[in-house]
Amino acid sequence: MYRSLKHTLMASLLGASLVVAITASASEKYNVGKTATPEEIAGWDIDIRPDGKGLPIGQGSVEDGEVLYEQICAACHGLFGEGEGRWPVLAGGKGTLKDARPTKTVGSYWPYASTLYDYIRRAMPFTAPRSLTDEQTYQLTAYVLYLNELVDDDFVLTHENLAQIEMPNKDGFFIDPRPDVKNIRCMQACDDPKTMTIEGTLKGITPVGHFIEGADAPAASHEGQQDLEREKAQARQAALSGEEVQSEQDAVSVSFSDKALAGKETFENACKVCHGSGIAGSPKLGDHEAWAPRVKQDMSVLVGHAINGFAGTFGIMPPKGGRVDLSDQQVEEAVNYMVESSK
Amino acid sequence: MSRIIKRPGTRELMVQLARESEGLSISERRDFLRKGMMTVGGLATAMAGGQAIAKDNNLPPMEPKWGKMLGHGVVEFPYGQPSQYESHVVRRTVPWLTAESISSISMSPLQDLKGIITPNGLVFERYHAGVPQINPEEHRLMIHGLVDRPIIFTMADLMRFPSVSEIKFIECPANGGMEWKGAQMEALQFTHGMLSCCEWTGVPLRTLLEEVGVQPEGKWILAEGADGAHMSRSIPLEKALDDTLVVYAQNGEKLRPEQGYPLRLINPGWEGNTSVKWLRRLEIGDKPWYHREETSKYTDLMPDGRARKFTFVQETNSVITNPCPENPIKQSGLIEIEGVAWSGRGKIKQVDVSFDGGVSWTPANLKGLVLEKALTRFSLVTKWDGQPWLLQARAIDETGYVQPTLKQLREVRGGNSIYHKNSIHTWKVAANGEVTNVQIS
Repeated sequence: MYRSLKHTLMASLLGASLVVAITASASEKYNVGKTATPEEIAGWDIDIRPDGKGLPIGQGSVEDGEVLYEQICAACHGLFGEGEGRWPVLAGGKGTLKDARPTKTVGSYWPYASTLYDYIRRAMPFTAPRSLTDEQTYQLTAYVLYLNELVDDDFVLTHENLAQIEMPNKDGFFIDPRPDVKNIRCMQACDDPKTMTIEGTLKGITPVGHFIEGADAPAASHEGQQDLEREKAQARQAALSGEEVQSEQDAVSVSFSDKALAGKETFENACKVCHGSGIAGSPKLGDHEAWAPRVKQDMSVLVGHAINGFAGTFGIMPPKGGRVDLSDQQVEEAVNYMVESSK
Repeated sequence: MSRIIKRPGTRELMVQLARESEGLSISERRDFLRKGMMTVGGLATAMAGGQAIAKDNNLPPMEPKWGKMLGHGVVEFPYGQPSQYESHVVRRTVPWLTAESISSISMSPLQDLKGIITPNGLVFERYHAGVPQINPEEHRLMIHGLVDRPIIFTMADLMRFPSVSEIKFIECPANGGMEWKGAQMEALQFTHGMLSCCEWTGVPLRTLLEEVGVQPEGKWILAEGADGAHMSRSIPLEKALDDTLVVYAQNGEKLRPEQGYPLRLINPGWEGNTSVKWLRRLEIGDKPWYHREETSKYTDLMPDGRARKFTFVQETNSVITNPCPENPIKQSGLIEIEGVAWSGRGKIKQVDVSFDGGVSWTPANLKGLVLEKALTRFSLVTKWDGQPWLLQARAIDETGYVQPTLKQLREVRGGNSIYHKNSIHTWKVAANGEVTNVQIS
């Protein structure tokens, strides 16, 4: 009895000391992970601050920026930064911030020029982020500043003068003061029903087809909306010509050439962002009407435009759609895929 | 043959064949079954008529068809899916909001959700450059800047730290933003659906900061994603040391690609975009960076033309989910008015419901878990007999903040601030039970 008690005591003492040994003190580190080398950090440390911290050594002129901008930016942002469709407006809007419909642009709203360099560097062009050189980023930053009349046409932007550029709205921001409104927990006679006005919604702008049968409403996805618009257009056309609407099933019996099949992946990864939805005036995949006049041209003309760029009536095709990393062959294959899908 | 048997329709048919042969003698039965098996394809058409009758006979006193046959076995679907009859419970978007779907947003179907947890496949989406497909073996988190030792962590490294699991809501600050100037959206999913709530599992950022050793001048942290947008936000160190999490799991499984797989930040109670997804880098600095998503976007423009910056907190908000436009009242009598409330500053303390557009209020009950910075369910059982209602919910959080009226918000902020519209919402209930979105001023 005594012996077993002694054993129990010893065991619990041992246990207690073990617990002490394996409980880390607050200051102790896990020593997990590897120390980052300066080279590893430099590769990923892409951020720029208003004081210029982070800017790579280099420069770029408005003049060079114009050429590059028209090639790879104008398709979405417009030749003058006015924005195509719902793509961001970059220039103008000066003095509109108090208006009922303000136009917030780089010139009218952004407080620092560094943000422009940082954003182009980390996220633009939309279809090929991190594909620009530091010099190209300086050129484009300079050109967008020029579009906003913040620098002259002979300006050269450098790592030394960027932080000195004063943006018109630099003092336009202040720290969040919320909570800024104070409601009280009133329980009775909190409002006068006689003075209350009740306003409903605008009909026809909410996707409600999933719970209101037969509603004339937008679809609940971008693809669904494109299908809806195509169906409506086909129905209009059919009503005009008295023909029957061709069903989707009949239309998709396409057999692809080897070249086109090889281009499918390039299409998915590069071309689809514009040609999948028909944005910025681009012919949409499968849109027979949009492609018909283009297909009539020689294939080499079409491929040439895709590789070297082309300014059409409705929009601009940047060289390789801005994906300069693609080979000519990849572009040619993708064009074949799009043409064969759209005949 | 095995391929055909695998099809449930065929299986169903065979069970039916067996049943129909029951009244026959053994030899007749064998014969019947043999013929039936041989012409199973042809019979499918013949039986269709008979089944159509059976379809309407799944109600008492008849035995439903699924009670007279076998269902599929285990691991038929190694990763389970909702019932085919729930296919309408999906994320949706309003296509005209954005130029295309790659830099866009979708909303959670709040009208169909129960409790406080949003299922992983229904958490709202917000991407600036689409969803990257990241190999976790090749994913790294780099922490550097004003630190004693800059470190690169692998996913395995991060999982060696003790983990925490916390239920927190996440909300886009633009939730409800279409309604600043007037009622627009005719569905709950679009007025409030940029909102979800999950149990997040990962490491407190504080733990990782202790590991690298933040230097005294360090005051801000830049968080950056690995996607094409390299989404970046400046986070005050104070928040990081308080409750920011670096998470790799949601609702018990690894993050969905849409939610930042394999690693994201969660800033509880703060606007969703600060919870950077596909997190690859944290840099410690002495000042904020003023990047695009904290200047051009996610700043709140006031009527005087100046804008609020670093508007982080998602203030107290609530909405009634039953009834709502998608869930009209179908029967008079007792009804449970139900909804969700949430606050970026802490716990929900009280929710009141008004039936007359805010003239008088009745306290509702909170039900289920009441957690800090998490969705909280409220409920009020009442009676509806066709009287018109102007239904509202008003939430109060533990700091005493009372959810404001739209009028109060507009008086201070005007109509152009886009973000952080947390005002009391009104559903109009018509005599036929139909529910529509209205604004009272």
